Amino acid sequence: MGPLIVNEIITENTNLLFAFLIGIGFGFVLEQSGFSSSRKLAGVFYGYDAVVLKVFFTAAITGMLGLLFFSLFGWLDLSLVYINPTFLSSSILGGVIMGAGFIIGGYCPGTSFCGASIGKIDAFVFIAGLFIGVALFGWGFPLWEKLYLAKDLGDPKVSRLLGISDGLFALLLILVALVMFWAAELAEKKFPREEY
Amino acid sequence: MKPRIVLAAFIIPLGLIIAAIPQNTTVPYKLTAHQLLAESNLRSKYVSPEQVAHMLVSKDPTLQLIDVRSQDEYDKYHLEGAVNIPITDLLAEKYAYLINQEVKMNVFYSNGTVVANEAWMITRQLGYNNNYILEGGLNYWAETILNPIKPANTSPNEEFARYDFRKAAGTALGAAPAETLTAPENSQPATAIPIIVKPKKKKAAGGC
Repeated sequence: MGPLIVNEIITENTNLLFAFLIGIGFGFVLEQSGFSSSRKLAGVFYGYDAVVLKVFFTAAITGMLGLLFFSLFGWLDLSLVYINPTFLSSSILGGVIMGAGFIIGGYCPGTSFCGASIGKIDAFVFIAGLFIGVALFGWGFPLWEKLYLAKDLGDPKVSRLLGISDGLFALLLILVALVMFWAAELAEKKFPREEY
Repeated sequence: MKPRIVLAAFIIPLGLIIAAIPQNTTVPYKLTAHQLLAESNLRSKYVSPEQVAHMLVSKDPTLQLIDVRSQDEYDKYHLEGAVNIPITDLLAEKYAYLINQEVKMNVFYSNGTVVANEAWMITRQLGYNNNYILEGGLNYWAETILNPIKPANTSPNEEFARYDFRKAAGTALGAAPAETLTAPENSQPATAIPIIVKPKKKKAAGGC
């Protein structure tokens, strides 16, 4: 049955409608969980607030379990699901830049728009920086094109790399996540911060 | 209870289940057994040698002949413009764009029709359209197009018209004008299959 677009069950336009509705829900949840505060994201780095880590890891695990069970029930053909190709060098460099941006700016692209929607000035500044970064990347693309496309790994999967089944990897990831949540809560107790 | 414990109580059992169950590797078939049976019994999955000959002579660009025999047999003799996809490689990723497309009319052929039928059935099950079978296979092709039998003098006019067409088509497609003739050897250069990597999956954008 799924994926819905590839199997032409819904059109691209219907997909955009779904994206719009899901986007509203996503933004609402982000705002309600306090992600529109830049201190919340920076808190992950300083250890006083691990909500961001917990929310996104939980989302990833929910999505992973959903995909695996849908595939098990025959509702979704996993071989048709797009996997973003991995270019190792640019992934590492991009991760470092993005991580630094998180700490300095206190937002990730999604939450900055959340913050802007309730009128936070630092979120507007962050978005301006985001567009400047996009423009610089685009204009300077010939300069880093080689690096951008270096070390193409195709669409690797950790489970394939380890030679285990997707399901077993899912279980391992769940255990890792739970240990991380526990460690994050310990950190929250260790580096408490009054009112932010 | 802490949310973490509640979460763990839910996802650890789910993780255990998914880790213990073998992966679903079945190829998703799009047709039910009944639908396939109904389609198998239709004559419309066959294309007659005359039609293929006509399309070949008129250089119809929508025709895509697919030789599902082995490479050796293909090298010995194959129809003009045919590409070789041995039945064992039918599902190889590099041929996917050929058998799963909406533009051309794919005609599978083998010596008889058994192997071509296998190819048709598998591709049909996978939900691919525009795949057909050369009626009677190469053997019947040789009988009708390359080496047609002259009808008896008492035959109706249509028989003669068909004979004339077969004769003309056969001559155009490489059969010598002589009446006793078998398939010419190595008459066509092998048609190389261009390997096109077509991104079929939808690219997703997003992140946090």
